[in-house]
Amino acid sequence: MKNNLKVQRAINNLTQEELANKISVSRQTINAMEANKYVPSTVLALKIAKVFNKFVEEIFILEDND
Amino acid sequence: MKATMLLPNRFKKLGWIILVPATIAGLILSVNEYEISWLNVKVFAILNNNFGESSSFSFIDDNITNELVGLLFIVGAVLVAFTKEKKEDEFIASLRLNSLLWAVFVNYALLFMAFLFVYGISFYSVMVYNMFTVLIIFIIRFNYILYKNSKIVSDEK
Repeated sequence: MKNNLKVQRAINNLTQEELANKISVSRQTINAMEANKYVPSTVLALKIAKVFNKFVEEIFILEDND
Repeated sequence: MKATMLLPNRFKKLGWIILVPATIAGLILSVNEYEISWLNVKVFAILNNNFGESSSFSFIDDNITNELVGLLFIVGAVLVAFTKEKKEDEFIASLRLNSLLWAVFVNYALLFMAFLFVYGISFYSVMVYNMFTVLIIFIIRFNYILYKNSKIVSDEK
C-alpha cells in the first residue's frame, strides 16, 4: 500500500509533528508511514483522512502486490 | 490499539535505576561468587537439595546474595522492558512485538549453539545466563530500533 501523506501534509501546510499531535501518535509513526515502512490501522487511516477532510481512498492507495 | 499489558511510563526510570546496579552486581557475581555476610538468613524452601541433603517445605539457612541480585535484575528488566514509551502508539507497539519476536529467535539460536558446543558443568552456567538473555536481548533490540527511528525523524526536514 502506498500513500500521499507527504503531499497532503504539504497542501495543508502541516509538519510531521503537527500532524502527529492532531491524531495523537508519535512523530516516528508519521515518518514510517511516509517512508512506506508502516501500514496504519483502519482507525489511524480514518483519523488521518478526517484531518485532511478527504476519503481514505484519496490518501491510501492499494498496490498490485497487496 | 490499546496496549493494556504495559505499565505506565513513569516506572521506566525506576526500572533503569534497579536494572543497572543489578546487572553490574550480577556480572561480578558470575566472576567471583561473593557472599555478603549479613545476608545469611533463614528462608522458606519449597524444594531444597544441597549436596545430597534434601528437604521440602522447610526452613533452611542460606546466603541470599545471589537470590537478591537475580530478583532485582528481574524486577528492573521487566520494568524497563514492559513500560510504555512516552508516546506509545500502534507503530511503537508493532516495533515492540517485532523486537520481542527477534529476541526470542536470537535467544533460542544462542541456546541451540550452546547445546551443540557446551558440555559438562559449563552447561550449567549457560542455563544461568539463559534465564536472563531473552529480556536482555529484547531491551537492547527494542531500544536500538527506537533510536534508529528517532534518528531518521530528526534528519527529516
